[in-house]
Amino acid sequence: MSENTLIELRGLTKRYGYGDTESFALKDFDLTIKRGEFIMIMGPSGCGKTTLLNIIGLLDRASRGEYILNGENVASISARRQARLRAKKIGFVFQNFNLIEDLPILENVALPLVYTGYTKTSRLKHASNALKRFHLQEREYYLPYQLSGGQQQRVAIARAIVGNPEIILADEPTGNLDSRSSHIVMEELKAIHDEGNTIIMVTHNPALTVYATRVINMLDGQIDTDIKTVADANLPQPISVKIKKKKSEFSSLISADSKRSRKHKKSRRKR
Amino acid sequence: MALLLRTHFKLAKTSIRENRTRSFLTCLGIAIGVASIILILSLMGSISNLIQNEIGEIGADLIVVRPSSTKDSVTSIVEELTSANSFQKSSLAISDVPAIAKLENVSAAAPIAISNNTIISEKNTLSSVPVLGTNLDFIKIEPLSMRYGAFLNEHNAENSVVLGHTLSLALFNTINSTVGKTVTIMGEKFMIVGVLDEVDKSINFDNIDFDNALIMDIDSLDRITGSTQIQQINIKAANTDSLSTISQDIENELFNQKLGDKNFTVAYGDAITHPASSLFTIVSGMLTIVAAISLVVGGIGVMNIMLVSVAERTHEIGIRKAVGASSRNILMQFLFEALILSILGGILGLILGYVLAFLLSVITPFAPYISWEIIAITFLTTISVGIIFGIYPALKAASKNPIDSLRYYR
Repeated sequence: MSENTLIELRGLTKRYGYGDTESFALKDFDLTIKRGEFIMIMGPSGCGKTTLLNIIGLLDRASRGEYILNGENVASISARRQARLRAKKIGFVFQNFNLIEDLPILENVALPLVYTGYTKTSRLKHASNALKRFHLQEREYYLPYQLSGGQQQRVAIARAIVGNPEIILADEPTGNLDSRSSHIVMEELKAIHDEGNTIIMVTHNPALTVYATRVINMLDGQIDTDIKTVADANLPQPISVKIKKKKSEFSSLISADSKRSRKHKKSRRKR
Repeated sequence: MALLLRTHFKLAKTSIRENRTRSFLTCLGIAIGVASIILILSLMGSISNLIQNEIGEIGADLIVVRPSSTKDSVTSIVEELTSANSFQKSSLAISDVPAIAKLENVSAAAPIAISNNTIISEKNTLSSVPVLGTNLDFIKIEPLSMRYGAFLNEHNAENSVVLGHTLSLALFNTINSTVGKTVTIMGEKFMIVGVLDEVDKSINFDNIDFDNALIMDIDSLDRITGSTQIQQINIKAANTDSLSTISQDIENELFNQKLGDKNFTVAYGDAITHPASSLFTIVSGMLTIVAAISLVVGGIGVMNIMLVSVAERTHEIGIRKAVGASSRNILMQFLFEALILSILGGILGLILGYVLAFLLSVITPFAPYISWEIIAITFLTTISVGIIFGIYPALKAASKNPIDSLRYYR
């Protein structure tokens, strides 16, 4: 196993039901993911994309097969340590945002830090910095329902990266958003990826594959096609996300990018 | 860990504040249970305080002999209460009293025998009046003061009686001209030689309400009723230093008198207070059980509301687990909430209980009794109620599958 391998799945199988009702969400699934990859997983409904993401995110267990995360077999990791890994190494972004309705967005963003031993002050400071990155610092004390869908998703992404995780798992993050908000969200994910994070994203929208370094098509719990658009050597350096990164650096990164990003900046200014 | 506990505490506070009405009603359930326990404990404490104070007033030289051999056991108290006490043959006899009085270092010994009789005066007829049969030593032991007239003496003991303050009023509608009049008991006439001062202590170690009682010589009582049951012999020791030796002597003497049958108890000091308040022990024991039941009901209320809370927050649990909360974190979060609910209820109950105890003290002689034991008991009970009734909802929350929970919407 190469040093740069982050995730290795071998013969992964997830079965639901028994006997007549038996069905497989994943069947003998093999996949190796390197640090710095931006993987998009596509495929029809029910082909096991979400199940795969849940297993990689340690929310679910495979019925059979091996999952090696950072060189460690997940089967041998206690439930408690798996929870810690979720808090420290993995960030989740969901289609329906999954923010806690009763908490202001600042505390929503700070949520993963609650379980990793930060004091309340430093938690909120980190969360505030993460929100600043997504231009939401003025709305820190808004409740989720007071924000638009695009803004809520950016809050969710801020929550995913607040603990400097290595892996971002995004399950159709743009599924509930209009195209403008979608591209803002995708630009944010791309920026996070450029800082060296590994992103695994499930999507139905083929237009978004331009952001990916690797596109996997799934069918019936197995890989149908697997296309790499960027050579392994050219993947971003695996350094952890620096939330405190200077804003100038951040915006230069975006301006150097495509037209779409300029449009997105304009729209942001309009707002 | 400490950090996390503080977070759990804050989360619970937020959650309780958000559901104010619901939380208050839940707390009230616990509070009522705790308040009744506090009220009962305060009442018991105040009763034993009253009796202890009385013994303090009488002096430290008091020894008491009571029938029946078992001391503290609950069964003996129950037996005593259920077996129609007055018809049971007491193990003490009138002849035991002079035997005790003759002993060294005993300065006085007075029997107490109660019989409920109908008393007829020139104006009224009263039934079921407690008639106390005793001897002349009684006034030496019991510090009763006379309002009018005098206590019985050796010349008039045979056909004289002393009335309690309230009884005098009830029989003759007056207290100041009662002395010299006669009352009829079981067809025999007795002259009233004295009226007691108001005592206003319905609870005492003799178990007699002196204000309502009639006092006569025990031999006369024995004569008119046919048989007397001695429920207690009060003994005054000549010196206070050797109470244990004297009570041992009394025990040996009675033991010989009864030909080796040890069916009596000799008590002094704090041990006296217990059997006198046996009825209260029983009643307060029963009340405590009732209060405990109401506390259990309150606890079920906590459990119910926590289950609702867990169900309502399934989605939140899913999110928390997805971002890194372990099952234990979730367990602690909900357990804390249940604990805080029940502790708040406990504090509310403590206040409510003492307010009730205070109100009760206005109409009864029982002053509110506060001790650290009562407060400690309250806290231990509420904490255990919180844990016992909070653990199941918390476990339920902790065992939720994050994927299913994330799909759940209220």
